[in-house]
Amino acid sequence: MRTATLVLAAYVLCVIVGACWRLLPAAALRDAVPELGALTSAYLGLTARRHLAPAIGGSVTIGYLVDVISGAPAGLAALVLGFTCLITRSAQQRILVRGAAMTIGFSAFVALVAGVVGLAVRAAVGIPVAAIAVELQHLALVTAATALIGPLVWRVFRRIDAAFARTHRERDAALEGIAP
Amino acid sequence: MTVRRRLLDWSLTGLLILVPALVLRASLQRGTPSAFDAAILRITAPLEAGVSWLAEGVGGLWSRYVALVDVESENRELREDNERLRKELAEMSRRAYDVAALEELAVLKKHTPTDTIGARVIGAPLSPQFRVLRLRLDRGARDVQPDMAVIAGTGPVGKIDKVYGDYADVMLVSDARSKIEVVVKRTGARGWLIGLGRPDSYACTISALELAPQSELRAKAGDELITSGVGSVFPPGLVVGTIEKLEGDDGMFQKVQVRPAVDVSRVRAVIVLLANPPPPDPDAKSKKKSEPAFGVRAL
Repeated sequence: MRTATLVLAAYVLCVIVGACWRLLPAAALRDAVPELGALTSAYLGLTARRHLAPAIGGSVTIGYLVDVISGAPAGLAALVLGFTCLITRSAQQRILVRGAAMTIGFSAFVALVAGVVGLAVRAAVGIPVAAIAVELQHLALVTAATALIGPLVWRVFRRIDAAFARTHRERDAALEGIAP
Repeated sequence: MTVRRRLLDWSLTGLLILVPALVLRASLQRGTPSAFDAAILRITAPLEAGVSWLAEGVGGLWSRYVALVDVESENRELREDNERLRKELAEMSRRAYDVAALEELAVLKKHTPTDTIGARVIGAPLSPQFRVLRLRLDRGARDVQPDMAVIAGTGPVGKIDKVYGDYADVMLVSDARSKIEVVVKRTGARGWLIGLGRPDSYACTISALELAPQSELRAKAGDELITSGVGSVFPPGLVVGTIEKLEGDDGMFQKVQVRPAVDVSRVRAVIVLLANPPPPDPDAKSKKKSEPAFGVRAL
């Protein structure tokens, strides 16, 4: 239920960002769409409790919805976000994402990981990629946008997590960004 | 967590990673969204449409009401531009009007077989019923003299009446003092076209228009009148007007009302005939061309 709620919230955020971002004045800003899907899968991976499958399932689902919204081939973002979730899960025991600076840094890392995995998947399945300079520029813009918007998104996710907490300890841990 | 549960978790994870890979492969092979994709899109579309509508509404609100800081100065600049362009347009229109008048004049002059001088209409006093009483031309005593004929594109306008310094007034065909000998083109009947001097129309009449014994030789409404060229300053053959209506007869002469051919309210430029045109050479058709002198032909 928690994962489904997070996925639903992430989907609504994706729709809002998709609708609002194109109204931004500068073309460069319009290209820098934050990777909300990657942030969601990273959050799911980082806060996965004992079982990994629900986090992967949630990531794949939000990835599929992102594919549907963006018009990308179905499965592309789902696969990328599934891998992103796996990677962030592996970082779960090593880092603690707390505080604005850490959240921004981790969001940027997540966007970079998702971007690189996306490039790799696209290259692997034969989807054309742009010139490397263009891809890198786009990746940098997306990373910056994701890093900036990351703390806000994670705050929303933590609120949702807190709502699903069974104890006060879990609730506080969720609000502080500590994996239960 | 037991090994079995861990194994199950990892198997599920692997499966969940495998599924999008297969979906992606199928999607790339198919090239179009599947029925499932379309169904998902159909379900999620209302939310996306609603959010888009809201975002565009807020964006529109911003651009229409909040981001209008510089609009006042821009508006002022546009007003100034608009005023300047209007003035330019008025100037260009005036020039176009002058050019059209000059073109008319050039065409008229080309077709007039006598010495002429062009003149521009610079004034036209009106009657209380908004009929032009006379025309004022931009030609003075150096160029024109009283009684010279004044014609426009479609026929006689009148005669020079008075000349004051650099200007001259034209007595219109419709003036009560105007008298031009005319011929009814269809019947050949002659008469004097006299203006009625009405303040509400340009109507004229023909005095001494003989009542022919045969009805087909009598003037009818619609008959065209042309200048006779006799006893008048106007060259022959100019269309003076048309008979507008018949007003009976006195047993000897027909009474008719004539509408002049020239609408003086629209005349912008005229030609003043400086001399009577030379009479046509009656032997012109029978004359032979002279032989070139010494066999030399002029180029």
